[in-house]
Amino acid sequence: MTSVVSARNVSKHYGDVRAVDDVSFEIEEGCITGLIGPNGAGKTTLLKSILGLTDCKGELSVLGLDPFRQRRELMQKICFIADVAVLPRWIRVHQLLDFVESVHGNFSRQKANELLARTKIPRKAKVRELSKGMVTQLHLSIIIAIDARLLVLDEPTLGLDILFRKEFYSNLLSDYFDEGRTIIITTHQVEEIENLLTDVMFIDNGRIVLDASMEALPGQYIELLANNENAERARQFKPIFERDLFGRKVLTFEGVNREQLDGLGELRTPDIADLFVAKVKGAAA
Amino acid sequence: MDPKWNEDQPIYRQLRDRVVAMILEDVIGDGDALPSVRNVAAEYRLNPLTVLKGYQELVDEGLVEKKRGRGMFVTDGARKRLMKDERQRFLDKEWPQVVATIERLDLDVAQLLKATNSGKSSTPGDKK
Repeated sequence: MTSVVSARNVSKHYGDVRAVDDVSFEIEEGCITGLIGPNGAGKTTLLKSILGLTDCKGELSVLGLDPFRQRRELMQKICFIADVAVLPRWIRVHQLLDFVESVHGNFSRQKANELLARTKIPRKAKVRELSKGMVTQLHLSIIIAIDARLLVLDEPTLGLDILFRKEFYSNLLSDYFDEGRTIIITTHQVEEIENLLTDVMFIDNGRIVLDASMEALPGQYIELLANNENAERARQFKPIFERDLFGRKVLTFEGVNREQLDGLGELRTPDIADLFVAKVKGAAA
Repeated sequence: MDPKWNEDQPIYRQLRDRVVAMILEDVIGDGDALPSVRNVAAEYRLNPLTVLKGYQELVDEGLVEKKRGRGMFVTDGARKRLMKDERQRFLDKEWPQVVATIERLDLDVAQLLKATNSGKSSTPGDKK
């Protein structure tokens, strides 16, 4: 496997605020990695570092390049939709396509036209005349038409209704993704991307608190749904987090064998949202 | 329509079960192509590897074969084999329980047949 992003002891401090605090990780080619974290956890700062939009300490390599110093070269190989995805309001759709074509060598106008033909976006409309969902469709059509190795999506579906959100991810999978490409996504709508991911990273207070492949999660984390009596017995295995559910207890375990918990209640693999709460709140407790 | 995945089994396994159900219900027959990995992934917003893993299960069971560059196809006799397995499973697992219930309730054959027939006539068009 080829490493697309490789981070060694990467930090970014704003004054006393440690937005990214000594993180190390690898993202391999062909992966869809979800970067999950609460507001202010450092997600956007980390993404900015990966995109070369901000300088950082430590070693960071993206597609073999130093993102901050070789940004120009890197920009030919990567794509990005920001959480504040802004297109100039006065520009017309066809003018925007002209512009992207002129600045981006790997942009296929034909592909963008094909993608746009599936939407209701009028070619002559100005961005300000489009609905929020249409602007995202336009954005995605342009991004997909760029032959990029790495796609970074920062809250790409923020503020969109459920139909647009589903369509967004469906289009991403049918028109963009293949095993030679890599996607990094951040979102608060975790349940929407959960089944899409190959890997997941949790970030909290600038630190990575979990970095795992989705396949490995069921072996590492177990949730036990038990009555109070059994919950008491299960506590000897040191759950990382506990919560109440309809008068019963839900205990989350890390690195505990399934057999040890057998007979104490219902066992299952926690979903990403529950696991996130367990890791972040459990660490704080 | 979105499928509801349950939490008891991994999704690739549920995907495998879904294809098996499609074969049993004759929605896809011997020699028919399975929907492409990309289409299934996009439609259900699943990681393509998950879909591939589900299909691989079917390949391992001999129900589906991979044709290079053309996709996945239901093997000849897949439905027949599945039917045989399903019948056996029913006879081994479910039928003894049904029989036990029948005995416990002291129902006779005539009553059962009558209930079966009236059940059939009350749902016309159920079987084609």
